[in-house]
Amino acid sequence: MQSHGERLDRLAVIPGQPSALLPSLFEHVEEGQRLTVLHIGSATPETVAFFSRYRCKLHFIDLFGDLATLAPSEDATVYLPQTLLDLMQIPAGTRFDLCLFWDLFNFLERDAIAALAQVLAPHLRDTTLAHGFAVHSLKTPQSGKIYSIKDVDQIGTRPRPALLPGYKPCNQGQLERVLDCFSVTRSVLLPESRLELLLRARQQR
Amino acid sequence: MIGPSIKIKGEVSGDEDLLIQGQVEGTITLKAHQVVVGESGQVSADIVAKTIRIDGKVNGDITGTENVVISKLGNVRGNIIAPRVLLEDGAIFKGSIDMDPGDTATKAAPQAAREPAAFPSQENKAHRLDLKSG
Repeated sequence: MQSHGERLDRLAVIPGQPSALLPSLFEHVEEGQRLTVLHIGSATPETVAFFSRYRCKLHFIDLFGDLATLAPSEDATVYLPQTLLDLMQIPAGTRFDLCLFWDLFNFLERDAIAALAQVLAPHLRDTTLAHGFAVHSLKTPQSGKIYSIKDVDQIGTRPRPALLPGYKPCNQGQLERVLDCFSVTRSVLLPESRLELLLRARQQR
Repeated sequence: MIGPSIKIKGEVSGDEDLLIQGQVEGTITLKAHQVVVGESGQVSADIVAKTIRIDGKVNGDITGTENVVISKLGNVRGNIIAPRVLLEDGAIFKGSIDMDPGDTATKAAPQAAREPAAFPSQENKAHRLDLKSG
């Protein structure tokens, strides 16, 4: 059985990219504060290891695996907010402090993003912060990466086994119009015309 | 040990460590001991134990008062509550992980500065490693 040190060494070699915005998610976290975190995507060893330094509850919801369910449908009985409620099954009373969306918005139709905002709104605090990717140019190709968090300023990246269906890149303006429970507070232009976004929950009415 | 050909429906409890290679449906409670769900183990049950290792398949909530490990062969659908949780590369997990179960001794230190959790097989020197340093 491998030792703890060996395991950490293995996590350290997971490819990553520096993040200018990720640290902002954690700069106001106080010592001993309990965090409730929404992580969109599959659970990865490095994400679990990273959050083990905090008192926290991690909710892993892999909507990337349900993109077909969220795709446009001519079936009038499909009501996206209900579909998302069923997929996400967020326990009543849950309030997220941090949401890690990664590049989910680049795979959802605008209606699905609006529905996601509707479903998430009751689970946000006024102080909730979030991280995600959009694009600057709509011609930006799919990254083909699975994202995770390696450290407070390091995003882990693993290659996806295959490109995901339904890629529809979303720019900042489009995102802000439909994701009405968050506003973009900072954005950073990355290589290949990708955008890294820091979001903050809008005041709940 | 619950062997590969054994199927149990009901409540499993006791005062010793348990290796499950068969099928269990119900509840498993061994609060002071270790439960290992082996590679051929298939469990549809909530598990409560001191330490829990999953090499097989579990559909249910898992509570480890000390730690929970999902190995690279493990497949878990459910919620985990434990002060220390380790997911190995290749593990499949769907659910939530609560690493703040309450008044365990490991939570006495300030959390934001706390070092990564230690697991039973670790060497002492590994306890000093800090994730930040990679």
